[in-house]
Amino acid sequence: MMTPLSVLIVDDDPALLQALPQALRLRMGGVTVETADSAAAALDRIAAQDYDAIVTDIKMPGMDGLALLAEIRTRRPDTPTLIITGHGENELVVHALRGGACDFIQKPIDRDYFVAALYRAVRAHVRNRRVKDRQLALASCADELERIVQKLEREPRAVPGRADS
Amino acid sequence: MPETATEEREVAVADPGAAVTAEHRLRAHVEMLERRLRKRDEQRRAMLHIMGDLSEFNKRLANQRKAMLHVLADYEQDRRRLARQTERLDNSRRAVLHILQDSHKDTLRLEASRKAMIHIMGDLRETTAEMRRREQELRDKQEQLVQAGKLATLGELTTGVAHELNNPLNNIGLFVGNAVDLIELAGTEKGQIVRELGHAMQQVSKATQIISHLRTFGRAAPASREAISLRQVIERALSLMQEQLRLREIEVTVDLGPVEPVVLGNAIQLEQVFINLLTNARDAVAGSRRKTIWISGSARSGVVEVAFADTGPGIPAGLERRIFDPFFTTKDVGKGTGLGLSITYGIIKEHGGTISVVSPPGEGATFLIHLPPAPAAAQETSP
Repeated sequence: MMTPLSVLIVDDDPALLQALPQALRLRMGGVTVETADSAAAALDRIAAQDYDAIVTDIKMPGMDGLALLAEIRTRRPDTPTLIITGHGENELVVHALRGGACDFIQKPIDRDYFVAALYRAVRAHVRNRRVKDRQLALASCADELERIVQKLEREPRAVPGRADS
Repeated sequence: MPETATEEREVAVADPGAAVTAEHRLRAHVEMLERRLRKRDEQRRAMLHIMGDLSEFNKRLANQRKAMLHVLADYEQDRRRLARQTERLDNSRRAVLHILQDSHKDTLRLEASRKAMIHIMGDLRETTAEMRRREQELRDKQEQLVQAGKLATLGELTTGVAHELNNPLNNIGLFVGNAVDLIELAGTEKGQIVRELGHAMQQVSKATQIISHLRTFGRAAPASREAISLRQVIERALSLMQEQLRLREIEVTVDLGPVEPVVLGNAIQLEQVFINLLTNARDAVAGSRRKTIWISGSARSGVVEVAFADTGPGIPAGLERRIFDPFFTTKDVGKGTGLGLSITYGIIKEHGGTISVVSPPGEGATFLIHLPPAPAAAQETSP
């Protein structure tokens, strides 16, 4: 990972928006953390920038974390999204995972676990992106080959006799 | 006289000188006779008058006799009537005698009753003492019920409050963790660490506030009465529910009017009333498009009124009375105890107030609370 990681944290608690980015900055060198205090603000950010990962709380007034997750899945299907849940909210966790969350973090947040989960998510994202890039490259190679084959087929055999020799 | 006249005439015949004299005498005699005749005539006329008067008088007498007869008939009637009345009076007298005899018997019976009453009074006194004991028992039970209701309210609140406590605890963990990281990192400036710890302290006090509020609310406090600012009570209830209301996007408007409503009561009990009403309203508006709770109050002469309205579906017709019954609930099993409104009713009643609900179809429910205001003297000592 050459370029610095960029992460968006979404929560309606201003204290958490102070504490968590600081923890990430201390634990993950060179990370840029941005914050949004509501799902609507987060969608604005997402439209403007492609983050390496998004972390969102579930319980928020207005659009909640699950609805935001669904929006992210349509607007930025590749961006890994992690969900913060209260302790014991297993039903919500299941909902989130089914909705396409790549991981969940329970409150109170264990920083080591959180950082590890975030790295995991980002790495998976990077790998996915690389796979996709390679797939694209391969697809274009295949196209190229196809074109060459067609071209060769269309060209009159200049020296038919030589092929036999 | 005629003899005399004849004699005279005889004399006159005999003696002519004497005849002249006799003639004179005769003339005088005739004149006298004529006078007498006139007089008699006058008398006769007078007699005729008298006769006329007499006849008149007689007629009048006859009339009077007729009138007298009438009067006599009237007298006779009166007499008969009097006789009848006398008879009636006699009957009455006899009846009174009977009554007097009865009354004597009644007096005897009354005496017996009086004695019985004295017995009953004794029994009654015992019963009253028993009643008083029962009443005290009931009051104790009621206090226990209020406490139970409070704990039930607390139980319902716990889930929400646990979530609320989890947030500051989580933040404390993060801030302290950051401080630890900063200390471990060589060369960090002290100020940054202090800042992190300061944030942590703020979160600690936030959590402490929530817990101390819960503890005050749950404590079995004696039901003392003092001047209470309704505004403070409502704000305290709201602070306990704040996070739940905020997450559900329920807007709460409080308008207590220009005059601060102060009531004589118990702050914790009244707070419980508002927590119960807020909890109900919170659940009521869950499915509504617009989620609003209005709390409005006014202090008029002799009464403090608080209206508590929501935009929920309202109360189904016919249930307005039952909702205050203990254990009556429209919520699903396990969601509500059915004690909230009955406890609320009990508390308001105990405060000498009233609570009622109006729920016109298509509009939300509005609870109306009337409470007696604190006397002016007590208001001055209130904080």
